[in-house]
Amino acid sequence: MSKGFCLLAQNNSKTNYIRQAYALALSLHLYNKGQKISLITNDKVPTEWQGVFDQIVPIPWDDNAEDSDWKIQNRWKVYHASPYDETIVLEADMLITSDITHWWKELSKRELFFVSNVRTYRDEVVTSRFYRKTFDANELPNLYSALHYFKKGDTAKEFYNLLEIIVNNWALFYSKYAPNEYQKWCSIDVSMAIASKILGNEHDVTDPNSFITFTHMKPLVQGWYNKPEKWTRVTGKYFTEGKLFLGNYLQNRVLHYVEDEFLTDELLEKIENGTTLLP
Amino acid sequence: MSKGVLLFAQNNHSIDYIKQAIFCAKKIKKHLGIPVAIATDNSDYLKATYPYYEKYISHVIELDWYECKQKRTYRDGTMSKKDLEWRNHDRATAYDISPFDETIVMDTDFIIGNDILLNAFDTDQDFLIFRHITDLNMDRPDEYRFNKISDRSIDMYWATIFYFKKSEGMKRFFDLITHIKDNWNFYRLTYQIVNKTYRNDFAFSIAIHILNGFQRTNWPNVLPGRLWFTSDADVLVKLEDETYTFLLDKKHWVGHYHAGCVKDVNIHILNKFALDRFIDEDLKNE
Repeated sequence: MSKGFCLLAQNNSKTNYIRQAYALALSLHLYNKGQKISLITNDKVPTEWQGVFDQIVPIPWDDNAEDSDWKIQNRWKVYHASPYDETIVLEADMLITSDITHWWKELSKRELFFVSNVRTYRDEVVTSRFYRKTFDANELPNLYSALHYFKKGDTAKEFYNLLEIIVNNWALFYSKYAPNEYQKWCSIDVSMAIASKILGNEHDVTDPNSFITFTHMKPLVQGWYNKPEKWTRVTGKYFTEGKLFLGNYLQNRVLHYVEDEFLTDELLEKIENGTTLLP
Repeated sequence: MSKGVLLFAQNNHSIDYIKQAIFCAKKIKKHLGIPVAIATDNSDYLKATYPYYEKYISHVIELDWYECKQKRTYRDGTMSKKDLEWRNHDRATAYDISPFDETIVMDTDFIIGNDILLNAFDTDQDFLIFRHITDLNMDRPDEYRFNKISDRSIDMYWATIFYFKKSEGMKRFFDLITHIKDNWNFYRLTYQIVNKTYRNDFAFSIAIHILNGFQRTNWPNVLPGRLWFTSDADVLVKLEDETYTFLLDKKHWVGHYHAGCVKDVNIHILNKFALDRFIDEDLKNE
């Protein structure tokens, strides 16, 4: 069974997601030996960045996000585009900060797995529901699509086929399954949660106590009393000897940094030249 | 292995920490029954003013007197306050000066009301400290100042009271605290502490964070019992045996209070003026 990481990245007018994907792939290789990571994109990938990817796969079929700035309409295609039997799907604005190769053994027990319990940069469990009002109001499974796993097979295929229908008809599904705290835009988290609710598989696809999780850097869930617009404006970051510190905390989980300005040229260069303390 | 309590008592112009230490030692003798050492920069005052001190204090350790420029605001309820010297730089020396192999160090305004802390001597841990307080005032806003050393910084540990066993690891810990104290401005800025005042709680919290590899771990373990807490905005109004009655500061109603009462607890009473009034009463027949 082949195993690998996959991410779907499409640049928009503001953000170079291919650059983020490159940094993510670098960070994965920095701490995890012998791992494969494929990039699904129709954008041009600079030649000097291509070497970090196992494969660069074009987005299957048409680009459904051509007219959209928040390009999520193609996310359901990751199942069809992944070259691996088992895939960990990551969002581009993430960095790996430690060895996570042992995750494969745990995830192989599942057909599908979603993180449902994320952490702050201080490694505290996020308890704020600020960004999850729709989930709570409609009793949707608390899934995070930013880091999930699937094994190719009937179960995952059924899930992604349903996800395709939901994403393509999101207003209809949201009005039926998420009418309270109604969200006026399509998001993959809500769409996946609705898919899970329809299939009744929440307890099969997530575990709030799992060690498989990530650090979510949305500023309003960090447990701060004075809430900034952007976390990058108030928190120091240091990357030294292959170790990343945020606000004096060593980061050793997958970091979903959210804000593109975090990935400065200086930081990217350090990751490119990074040496870990791992053997 | 010798066991005991170490108290630091350094007076300023208004607060008699030495008197507090004697009262504190009296409670320690009653409830814990272990020897007490006092570290002070004015042993002459101790001996002259409180000639009976040896009833409660078995060791007197001389500290050097130094000019203190650091000040903090001391309140007596919400309507009265004074800015006074705050001599708190010597706690890092606890390892070197303690005459005991196993030591509980506590503030002189931390008053013992039961024997639960004796359990600290029965663990295999070389360091125990409180991570959280139990605030008697349920009306007080749950602000970050009680949980983190600043809003975006690290977990707060309370150096009000802690236990340590002499060991190589603890020597390193106290050396690190000395280093943090000596370079306070650097650490203060690095850990986003707005107030310039050196505070033992912060230095201990930073040292713990560093020795934990800049991560949250399950070290150090927690002291037995609870650290009951009242701020200097609260006023102690009655003390009978081990029952303490306070007027507790009412949130959003400056100068208004509600009553609260605890019995048989170990409690930190930050309003030193109020505590002092009851100590005078308690010690008058010594």
